[in-house]
Amino acid sequence: MKQEKAKKYGMVIDLDKCTGCGSCMVACMAENNVPFREDESDKLLSIAWMRVYKLTNGKPFPDTDICYLPRPCMHCEGHHGHSPCVSVCPATATDYSEETGIVSQIYTRCFGCRYCMAACPYHVRLFNWWDPVWPDGMEKSLSPNVSVRMRGVVEKCSFCFHRYQLTMDKAHMEGRRELEEDEYQTACTQACPAGAITFGDLNNPKHTVYRMVKPDHKQGGKPKNPKAFRLLERLGTNPKVYYLTSREWVRSMDDNYLKNESK
Amino acid sequence: MSTLDDQAKEVSEDVADRVVETPTQKEGNQVDGSGGFIILFFFIGLIASLILGWIIYPKLLYSQKKQPIDFNHAIHMDLVDDGCESCHFFREDGSYSGVPKLAQCIDCHEEVQGETENEAVFVQEYVQKQKEVPWLVYSRQPDCVFFSHVVHVKTAQIDCTQCHGHIGESTNLKIYEENRITGYSRDIWGKNMSGYKKNSWDRMKMDDCAECHAKEKGMESSVQTKKDACFVCHK
Amino acid sequence: MKIDRRSFLSFVIGGAAGTALSPLPWKLTDDLSIWTQTWPWVPVPTDGEVSYVNSVCTLCPGGCGITVRKIDNRVVKIEGMKGHPVNDGGICILGLSGAQLLYGQMRVREPLKKVNGRFKKISWDEAISEISKKLVELRSKGESYKVACIAGSDRGTVPELFNRFLTVYGSPNFIRTPSIQDSYELTLHLMHGVQGMPGFDVENSDFILSFSSGVIDGWGSPVRMFKANSNWRDNGGKVIQVEPRLSNTAAKSDKWIAINPGTEGALALGLAHIIIKESLYNSSFVNNYSTGFNRWKRHVMDGYSPEIVAKITGIDKSVIVSLARDFARASKPLAICGRGQGWTPGSLKEFMAVNALNALVGNINKEGGIWGLAEPDYINWPELEMDSAASRGMQEGRIDGAGSGEYPHAKYLLNRLPEIINSAEVSPVQALFVTGSNPCYTLPDTASVKKAFERIPLVVSFSPYIDETAEIADFILPNHVFLERYEDVPPVAGFQKPIIGLSKPVVDPQFNTKHVGDVIIQLAKSMGDFIANAFPWETYEDCLQTTLGDKWDTLVQEGYWTDSNFAPPAWAQGFETASTKFEFTNDEINSLSRFSPVKPEGDEASYPLVLIPYDSMRLASGFIGDPPFAIKTVEDTVLKGKDVLIEINPATAKKLGLAEGRYANLTTPKGSAKVKVHLFDGIMPGIIAMPRGLGHTAYDKFLAGKGINFNELIGPVEDTASGHDTAWGISAKLAKA
Repeated sequence: MKQEKAKKYGMVIDLDKCTGCGSCMVACMAENNVPFREDESDKLLSIAWMRVYKLTNGKPFPDTDICYLPRPCMHCEGHHGHSPCVSVCPATATDYSEETGIVSQIYTRCFGCRYCMAACPYHVRLFNWWDPVWPDGMEKSLSPNVSVRMRGVVEKCSFCFHRYQLTMDKAHMEGRRELEEDEYQTACTQACPAGAITFGDLNNPKHTVYRMVKPDHKQGGKPKNPKAFRLLERLGTNPKVYYLTSREWVRSMDDNYLKNESK
Repeated sequence: MSTLDDQAKEVSEDVADRVVETPTQKEGNQVDGSGGFIILFFFIGLIASLILGWIIYPKLLYSQKKQPIDFNHAIHMDLVDDGCESCHFFREDGSYSGVPKLAQCIDCHEEVQGETENEAVFVQEYVQKQKEVPWLVYSRQPDCVFFSHVVHVKTAQIDCTQCHGHIGESTNLKIYEENRITGYSRDIWGKNMSGYKKNSWDRMKMDDCAECHAKEKGMESSVQTKKDACFVCHK
Repeated sequence: MKIDRRSFLSFVIGGAAGTALSPLPWKLTDDLSIWTQTWPWVPVPTDGEVSYVNSVCTLCPGGCGITVRKIDNRVVKIEGMKGHPVNDGGICILGLSGAQLLYGQMRVREPLKKVNGRFKKISWDEAISEISKKLVELRSKGESYKVACIAGSDRGTVPELFNRFLTVYGSPNFIRTPSIQDSYELTLHLMHGVQGMPGFDVENSDFILSFSSGVIDGWGSPVRMFKANSNWRDNGGKVIQVEPRLSNTAAKSDKWIAINPGTEGALALGLAHIIIKESLYNSSFVNNYSTGFNRWKRHVMDGYSPEIVAKITGIDKSVIVSLARDFARASKPLAICGRGQGWTPGSLKEFMAVNALNALVGNINKEGGIWGLAEPDYINWPELEMDSAASRGMQEGRIDGAGSGEYPHAKYLLNRLPEIINSAEVSPVQALFVTGSNPCYTLPDTASVKKAFERIPLVVSFSPYIDETAEIADFILPNHVFLERYEDVPPVAGFQKPIIGLSKPVVDPQFNTKHVGDVIIQLAKSMGDFIANAFPWETYEDCLQTTLGDKWDTLVQEGYWTDSNFAPPAWAQGFETASTKFEFTNDEINSLSRFSPVKPEGDEASYPLVLIPYDSMRLASGFIGDPPFAIKTVEDTVLKGKDVLIEINPATAKKLGLAEGRYANLTTPKGSAKVKVHLFDGIMPGIIAMPRGLGHTAYDKFLAGKGINFNELIGPVEDTASGHDTAWGISAKLAKA
């Protein structure tokens, strides 16, 4: 059987457009059967595959500035797919697919050792400390396309992979093997009222994300777009989520720098 | 409460006994046939556990459930034009309808057709009461499995029988056996307790999927396993 | 036969060998591992056929199109409708959580009647007949005008049905909940002569000057504003945010100008001063299509020099001057106002000052400007026939005083009602209907609102949710939620084109609820005679379909109807004032009190700080509270456990000896609360801020009891020009706890 060209799904988030409204977070929760508890104010325990962080420049009034940074799973490619979490999983519960570039998490396979959580530098992975509970009647809004997670397993953003599966079904039904760009979009991308999130195949020159962060090979593969950056690049995680901002102070927060180190 | 010293004493006595007895008993036992006893007990144990494992355990493990209506596939196959897909059809979005809903049945079964008791019960209990039939699905996979019928049936041109066997030719529905521990149908593990399969449809565990995927698809997209990626069949 | 130890061991070994050779251990291990993956109490969602239904969200006045994803008969997800003129695929956090408002625990599941302080089930027929009896009794005593209705809107068939019912019954007391709509309507009426509402062509503007409006914090139709904001980013549009606090809007704007709260109107006049002085105004518009300019000019030139304005607003003189120049020189500048999401009307003179800025640059009824839109006219019901009891009742003045005496211009003055009821010996309101609103939560000084409502002998709530007003009502007659009912959605707040949406049932009603329109029709029919005759429809659906006439089919199919060719009238035709021109001022306007910054309630000595509210998309603060998903997204610097965090400038906090995360006692002239402190550099020293939308006592366990309701700590401040509430904050004291 002929193999299709490998895809590398990735995301570009324009921080200049992000308003911090939280739509992406709830779109994700509603799409992916994310549970909710009475008190979700301890954010280390609160399960949100997509989380919007609030950054401040730390300057006193009136030079203060804030910026919001939505953080899905970075779907790190690492070196040849050896992303930090995939390399440490003793259960083969998480995996990197060379076909799509997506880091998967199979809940039924996970036994909750949380090595991956320790390995992930982005706090993307979350542990189910409790069994999910939907108050009587509320389970009606659960989607059959995403498995509900049980207590004791780790979960994280999947780039709404079930949407890929479902649109591929449609493509196969119509005798196609390739998807159009707009056919497979994550729930957060679709919901974002500011249009701040762009999702697509970073390998496909026809896709918007490709154009937005086209690598400059003279610069060691960094995007040509001067507004673009990735988080904690120096760890070698090779993430597939890019951010755009025109604010210098935001860009300087992309990594940990020593005091006397210039970026 | 025994002290450490007591235990040590017992052990050493035990050892002493053996040291003394062994040489004489060894010959004696072989002569008076008590060795046969030992072998007999071995076989009693062996056979009992084999009976337990092969015959009693499966009976305990699976509960037997009758389908609400004894559906005759063969009769329907004669009447429809499009084979299995006449009733188990694909929707436009590529999703698979699976077991038909009552609405589909009503197209023909608004009134009682034929004279079987099954039919009368069906119309009376379900059609007239507008109640969905609680069919028991032999091939239902766990919730973590994403199985795409369209890819297998339309694109890969795999015949339904490859996985479902010749159910389309059956005149009645077999007893549904439900695993009391997992809640899944026996058809997933297969009728054969040893997990041995003669036909491709005898068993439908993850390894069976993986085996075929490795053979037919030859994908090595998973970094961890060098097989097909997890997210191909999982959700 | 003697079974000795060896035989037994042999038996065990044989058994072990046999077991190993049988499927038991292997199969059991496999089954057990599968069992651990599928706990019976973890729900497995059932699969089914996917379908999509287009409708309109009515959780706020934004009017966004939604596409509801269903699996068989269940709503699993709400998404933004692609191609809808308002939101084109985008959707806000509340809309996304809509399924939780359908299936959640906050639903009222059947009609309830309060008996001895506790709610008891009652049948629909009984409930309606009891209410009907009470209304007949009042009417026969000649007290029909003592019945009032509070609604979230006065447009659309449902509010109109209530209004019609009250009119034919004999009461003028239909009251809309307050918002910036009140101020903008009045501004348009006085300056443009237009009876209607403003439309803002924000998409085409290239310079937005926002006076504390939460452009991307939920002002207007939120999703539309987000999209506009992104458009400005792409096309080089500028946004200037004038606001005391670094809100999300301020942070995302091109320039944030911190201003003393409540002095926005002075800044608008100060900008006008410079624009006039430097002749930067659009002389073609001012000379040919306006009147009152010279009179207004004198007022501006005398009182609002940059020096004076700098002193009032706390903004540097040079900033004011350059802002005025930038605004006037932009090709399509637009000034907007109404604080935050616009829940409080505000000072009329401030709105007029901001509108005058738009007029100065000639950006009225033009691309990228403010458009005066006429009231929607699709509701044309048969003329009412009224009996003498009704006519007598209608001649009584409104209880809230709107439209007469001191308040000739105001249409509704709900802010005055609690005080009027509380100070009367016998409540002037004897029966109250509450629909599409939650005044016991959203009105300032909630304690006095609740006290007033408790004095009303009959309060009927039509809320589908157990909200604060429903809790103190005598009857709850639960409406269907928006995913279960038909309803027309009249033109969207601030949208520049006439548009009508149709919200339609996506699923069957989940509980024993009834469409509020049907309840009114049934109530009217039960009262007979003229009242019954005024409602010639069998059901609400019948009424709606007849009303919408030939638009019905389009609405059912597309979900909305819009006049895509609509263009605002030209300057020569756009004004319906006496002069047929734009009126900077006229005798009527002149007779109103002059603009003066509104002072917060409380004396400075005992309350040295100023407490202001802020609005956030993540906290629904209107008549609907946050569903579980939405409250989950609230940051831990806003809500921690059950405690709300108050934003305070580190310098102010240091003076008061307060540190991050510590408890403090917050006191205002209206009340006090225990809060936590969050140090935030983006707020002016001396000012503290608190989010709206918390402190619910009703709803479900996910929302109730978390934080403090801002409205408990503030009271209304009456605008001397209009009578509307203008309170933007209150004096406060914060001390270590």
